[in-house]
Amino acid sequence: MADAMHRENIYSETLGPEQFGIIEKPLTLVEKIYSQAWLRKVGIIVVLALAWEFYARWLDNSLLVPTFSDTMRAFAAGFGEGTIPSRALSSLEVLLIGFATGTLLAGLLTVFAISTLIGTDFLETMTAMFNPLPAIALLPLALIWFGLGMGSLVFVLVHSVMWAVALNTLAGFRSVSTTVRMVGRNYNLNGLRFVGKILIPAAFPSILAGLKIGWAFAWRTLIAAELVFGVSSGQGGLGWYIFESKNQLNIPEVFAGLLTIILIGLAVENVVFRFIETRTVQRWGMQS
Amino acid sequence: MPSGATLASRSASSAVAKVRAANVVGTDTQADPSRPLLDVRGVTIQYKTQAHLITATYRVEFSVLQGDRFVLLGPSGCGKSTLLKAVGGYLQPTEGEIRLKGELITRPGPDRIMVFQEFDQLLPWKTVLENVIFPLRTTGTLGAKAAHERAMHYIEKVNLTKFAHSYPHMLSGGMKQRVAIARGMAMEPDILLMDEPFAALDALTRTRMQDELLALWDDTQFTVLFVTHSIPEAIKIGNRILLLSPHPGQVKAEINSVPRGQENSNDAAALGREIHDMLFSDQIEETPNG
Repeated sequence: MADAMHRENIYSETLGPEQFGIIEKPLTLVEKIYSQAWLRKVGIIVVLALAWEFYARWLDNSLLVPTFSDTMRAFAAGFGEGTIPSRALSSLEVLLIGFATGTLLAGLLTVFAISTLIGTDFLETMTAMFNPLPAIALLPLALIWFGLGMGSLVFVLVHSVMWAVALNTLAGFRSVSTTVRMVGRNYNLNGLRFVGKILIPAAFPSILAGLKIGWAFAWRTLIAAELVFGVSSGQGGLGWYIFESKNQLNIPEVFAGLLTIILIGLAVENVVFRFIETRTVQRWGMQS
Repeated sequence: MPSGATLASRSASSAVAKVRAANVVGTDTQADPSRPLLDVRGVTIQYKTQAHLITATYRVEFSVLQGDRFVLLGPSGCGKSTLLKAVGGYLQPTEGEIRLKGELITRPGPDRIMVFQEFDQLLPWKTVLENVIFPLRTTGTLGAKAAHERAMHYIEKVNLTKFAHSYPHMLSGGMKQRVAIARGMAMEPDILLMDEPFAALDALTRTRMQDELLALWDDTQFTVLFVTHSIPEAIKIGNRILLLSPHPGQVKAEINSVPRGQENSNDAAALGREIHDMLFSDQIEETPNG
């Protein structure tokens, strides 16, 4: 045993595939169902809805907590008579204007920031100052500057979107590898062509993350702003709908309004952004 | 340091290059074989890091002829990659000058295409085909249809026709490097600059890639400036090898490699030992000093 020089070669027989009990076996139905993430999540939502329903019935005070079924009825009624869709549309319209303006400004600011040293300092200082500041805190000022209407809403929305998007875009541009930059310069790309053809696609995962954060910020800011004064051009948005319903003690409608906000948030996250992700960063293998 | 001996052996190889250049049809309108394609004269490159001013190369001289497979060989820290970047136009020499076809190199340009070691040199948001078409279109070299045709031609040359519509992340490391080579060759640059393109590959793939590169060269006789730290690779790939000493990079020798296909011969082994000794002598000198 101790003699390392005189060990024999060892050969062993491996078993053929037919000698194994299981090599490949389909999973059972239960296992297959449980492996679907969306089914598990639907299960969680059903359990939560049931808990809500039982608690509300036990509490029996529709002014504090209406039952789940009452909420759904108010939601269906609101949809049926068209109030909820029209309020939601009015909110979304303002939101899109603010989001698009904010993104555009963020883009300009970032391009300025990467092309000059002073631009970088400017953007860094501005984001350091304004990113932690809740956009809604500017609403009183905005009301003085732009009056009671769309202008003020768009102002706070731009403010909530711009810094988050600019910060992420700049971080994305900075993380573009030296190799990719050198490849771009090798083909005589410079200035805006370099930004458009190399930097933006290469930094797209970060930019998309920035857009998602910006969207979430904007959505929250908008609803909060609408709760303070919701009427613009004669019609309020979802925040105003909630506020009005509360004033009229229509608590199921308050819940229906909240539900609508949640649903729109989920839809944008899981449909719109998901769609963009599968078409871009996932297809390119830049995100798993 | 470059002595008369190296210059004499140089003229022998330029005669070979003359014959070779005569076989190349229409790659260079002003092909004058006696004039070097790339001329590097007394190039000193210095760059600054956070705390130091570093001299990467000191008065390096060499010239590359049309159709050369010119290898820059040296240990890490000899400034060979820095030198290649200067030829690429990414860096300016502190002293001396680099001329391509007599024109001073001042900035990057599509007449010198770089092939990098890093796999991320392919643009991940473009398919293999789009990656190869990209430089042809953005530099305005070719129209859409012609660019497509030429890209497919070179993709076929590197045996990736089946993967033309795949994205880079689906490819293996060796395949990515083949795409990068196809992308560089499709531009038909005056000189292809390769910065240790096979260094990150496994040994088997590396050998295969070397063979493929040589087969491509047999096909089109493009001029390539190739950086490596591997002696066997330099002997196999190059027809001419520039040996650089480390810290800062200085020319130790400029020698001919063994003829094509003899990289496993005794001559090649002897040449390898000679090169090894030259590199090794530096380390002996260095050790007592520091």
